[in-house]
Amino acid sequence: MRREEGFDPELAGKRAECDGGSGVAGTRFAGRQDFAGTLTGTFVDHGDPPWRWYLLAELTTVPEGYTDDSVWCESGNLFVIDST
Amino acid sequence: MNKDPLRTKLCDMLGIEFPVIAFTHCKDVATSVINAGGFAVLGEAMHTPDEIAADVKWIRDRVNGKPFGIDLVLPASVPPSGSLDELMSNIPEPHRRFAREIKERYDVPDPKGAVDLHQWGGLNQELARAQLDVLLDERVPVIASGLGSPAFILDAAHERDILVFGLVGKARQAKRQLEAGVDAIIAQGYDAAGHTGAVGTFSIVAEVAAMARDTPIIAAGGVTTGRHLAASLCLGAAGVWTGTLWLACRESDVDMIIKERLLAATNEDTTYSRSISGMPMRVLSCPWTQEWAKPGAPEVLNAPYQMLLSSDYIQGANDNRRADLMTEAAGQGVGFVTTMKPAKQILYDLVEEALETFESIVGDS
Repeated sequence: MRREEGFDPELAGKRAECDGGSGVAGTRFAGRQDFAGTLTGTFVDHGDPPWRWYLLAELTTVPEGYTDDSVWCESGNLFVIDST
Repeated sequence: MNKDPLRTKLCDMLGIEFPVIAFTHCKDVATSVINAGGFAVLGEAMHTPDEIAADVKWIRDRVNGKPFGIDLVLPASVPPSGSLDELMSNIPEPHRRFAREIKERYDVPDPKGAVDLHQWGGLNQELARAQLDVLLDERVPVIASGLGSPAFILDAAHERDILVFGLVGKARQAKRQLEAGVDAIIAQGYDAAGHTGAVGTFSIVAEVAAMARDTPIIAAGGVTTGRHLAASLCLGAAGVWTGTLWLACRESDVDMIIKERLLAATNEDTTYSRSISGMPMRVLSCPWTQEWAKPGAPEVLNAPYQMLLSSDYIQGANDNRRADLMTEAAGQGVGFVTTMKPAKQILYDLVEEALETFESIVGDS
């Protein structure tokens, strides 16, 4: 499957919120998770038509217990809150 | 003006008789509902692309050209990945000890085989994308996204005459998806089984319906009676999305022990807990969820660590069919699910009660 990385300078440094979540491996369950942070500008497109994911770092809002310092966010669930 | 309150624009869009969507993981339930005049969406999130293709054919062979849907849980966020060993090594010892104590206290048996979770690669972008490609290739009549935004797939789907539904838990998600051009929005409230947003069904449905214009809105979360159906239509929905309603029906492949628990449960027997997966979800209360809610319990870990921790309990309970330990995703409407009826009867009862409700609230003059 096509996987293409890229960088969007217009989004780099913008603050954003992600209405995230995913399925839970091995179960029928899924869960929602909210994040907020700063977009690095890095993105990855999966497949064709491209399914775009942005890397959100410097996280200021994470789910309880979240230990990673960044998260990949699906573009349709990403809300840029900083227009400057 | 159409005088049948149940003849909605969702019925027209899908060519169905009743505006009732069964969300189910059981193919037999799906075909029963479809053939009785409703619509069904089969949850296939945890299936491989080949399994999905086989299930699509199975349904097609049994519904005589009637439409159906397939639901995938498109991920909306994915943490940087690690190997299973790396993930396991990150679980703190106090949490491991607490899980062992629960196991001892409730005499939880060991799983009969390797824990499924530990053999499965997880749902990442690549797998979800491969699942979606099967649905496009198969030209499934409806693709439903149970979590993430399906906006990126809209053009490819519409070129193939596939309708795309998106499930949302917040108004801003609905606004984004409406702007993208999804064909219907499932507005899911806090009452629902499994993963939900924090907004109640009564509020999220009305709010999303107000912004939707001509796009059908489908109410989800706690819908288990005809009164719920009638109320949903009055809120502006064009149909309802029902899950818990079908778990204990005759055709359902849910374990009989869980069916009995569902039939006995009241609407106070579900809990909104992070203790199973690390992500909030509504399930039938069980010793595992109860223990993690007690004062002094360790703080619940984030996904996937909490799921790695709970998987031994969950599978041990399921493999050994321990009614006192087992759990299942269930919505707050479970209290209305009290008898094990055929799916067709459940649908007809729902419709009849909705019509009676409309009749009962209309004045004489």
